[in-house]
Amino acid sequence: MGDLISVLTDNLDEFLAGFWVTVRLVVFAFVIAMVVGTLVAALRISPSKGLQRIGGIYVETFRNIPLLVLLFIAFAGLRRAGADIGPWEAGIASLGLYTAAYVAEALRSGVFSVSKGQIEAALSLGFTYRQALRRVVFPQAFRTVISPLGSLIIAMIKNSAIIGVSLLALDDLLKTARTVGSRGFEYTEAFFWAAVGYLILTGLATLTIRVLEKRYAIHR
Amino acid sequence: MNYVFDPDNWEWVITGNNLRFILEGFAVNLEIAVIAMVLSMIAGLALALARLSRWTPLSIVAGTWIDIWRNLPLIFIILYLYLTIPGSWPAAYEDAIPSWFPEGLQSGRVLAAILGLVLYNSAVLAEIMRAGIQSLDRGQNEAARALGMSYRQSMRHVVLPQGLRRMVPATVSQLITLNKDTTLVSIVAIQEVVRHGRILTGTNFFGGVQAPILQVFLLIGALFIIVNLLLSRLSRRLEIHEQKRTAVGQVKRVRGLEEQAV
Repeated sequence: MGDLISVLTDNLDEFLAGFWVTVRLVVFAFVIAMVVGTLVAALRISPSKGLQRIGGIYVETFRNIPLLVLLFIAFAGLRRAGADIGPWEAGIASLGLYTAAYVAEALRSGVFSVSKGQIEAALSLGFTYRQALRRVVFPQAFRTVISPLGSLIIAMIKNSAIIGVSLLALDDLLKTARTVGSRGFEYTEAFFWAAVGYLILTGLATLTIRVLEKRYAIHR
Repeated sequence: MNYVFDPDNWEWVITGNNLRFILEGFAVNLEIAVIAMVLSMIAGLALALARLSRWTPLSIVAGTWIDIWRNLPLIFIILYLYLTIPGSWPAAYEDAIPSWFPEGLQSGRVLAAILGLVLYNSAVLAEIMRAGIQSLDRGQNEAARALGMSYRQSMRHVVLPQGLRRMVPATVSQLITLNKDTTLVSIVAIQEVVRHGRILTGTNFFGGVQAPILQVFLLIGALFIIVNLLLSRLSRRLEIHEQKRTAVGQVKRVRGLEEQAV
C-alpha cells in the first residue's frame, strides 16, 4: 500500500500533466465532434437526396474505420504527403471527426424520434418549415439526444487513450502511466492511478448527464 | 489530392507479395475478432445473468465488475495485461494452443490481447443483454411463473429468447466496434494488419518499392470499411428475416444501446 501511495506522490506532477493532456484532447475533440456532427446530421435530414448521400457516406466511412488507422492516416500519412501537421492537430482532428459520425447518427435519430404529426401540426398552424424545425422539433429532439450524447462523451474519453500510445507520442494519462511504470517496474501501481484518472473523467461525465437528464429528458 | 491518387504511389500494391502481406495481416484481425466475440458473448451472458440475480451480493459483485471494465479504455486494459501478465501464462498458452490454429494466433502475446478484448467486451455486452432482458414486459416472466415454470425455466424458454432477440442490432454494432478494436492489439506487437502496414512502410521492406504510409493505411481503412459495412448489412437482413419468421412485426429495438458501441 505504501508503494501505491508513493508512486502517486513521487510522480504527481507527471500524472497531473498527463491528466490535463487527456482532458484537453477530449474537450477539443468534443467541440469538433459536435460541430461536424451537427453539420453532417443536417445533411442527413436535408430534403435533397444528394446532400443526404454525402452525409451518409461520411457517417459510414468514419464509423467503420478503426480510430488507430485514422490516426496513422492523419499523422504519419499526411506528413509523408507533405502536410505540416502536428500530433495535437492530428489527434484532436481524428478523434473529433471519428466521433462526429456517431454524433450525427444520434442527432438524426433524435430528430426522427419526434413524430411526424408534430411537424404537420406546426405547419398547419402557419409555421414555416424552418420555424417548425426550430421551435417544435429541435427542442424535443434535444431532450431525447442527451443520453446517447452522454454515452458518446464517455466513449470519447476512453478512445482518447489510443492517441498517446500510438505513434503520436502525446504524453496523455495512459502514456504517463506507462512511462512512470517502466521506471521502477511499478506497472500495477502506475496503471492503478491512471485508471482512477479515467474513472474520474467517465464518472464526472456520467453524473453531468444524469443531472441534465433529470432536468430535461423525456423517454420515448 | 494528386499525391493520393498518383499511380506511382500505388505501385506497391501490385509489387511482390505486398497486397497478400496486408491481407494476411487483416485475416489475423478477423480471427482475433471472431474468437474474442464468441468468448465475450458467453462471458457477457453469464455476467448479465449474475447482475440480474436475485441474490444481492452476486448482483453487486457482477455490477461492479461490469462497470469497472466497461469504463476503462480498452487499450489501457490490453497494455496493462501485456506488461504485467506472469511470464508463464503466454508459455502455457503456446503449449496449449493446437497446431492447426491459425499461425497468427500461435504467439503467446495473443493471450494478453484476447484476454483484454474479452474482459472489456464481455462487460459491454453484459450491459446490452441486461437492457435487452429488462426491456421485456414483466408480465412475460410473471405469466411464465404463474404457469408453474421455475425461475430457470422461465428465463430459458420465455425471457431470454425474446430479450436476446431485441439486442441483435446492438450486438452487431458491438461486433463492428470489436472488429475495429482488433487493430489495438498491434500495440503488443502482434503481427496483424497495422503491424504489417508499418513493416511495408518501414526501411526493411521487401519487393523493391517502399510503400507510402498514407496509401497503405488508406487501403487498410478501406478493408475495415468494406467488412464492417457487410456486417451491418447482414444484421439488417437478419432482422428482417427474423421479423418475418416470428411474424410479430417490428421487433422493438433497445434504445440507446447502439450508441454505446463506439
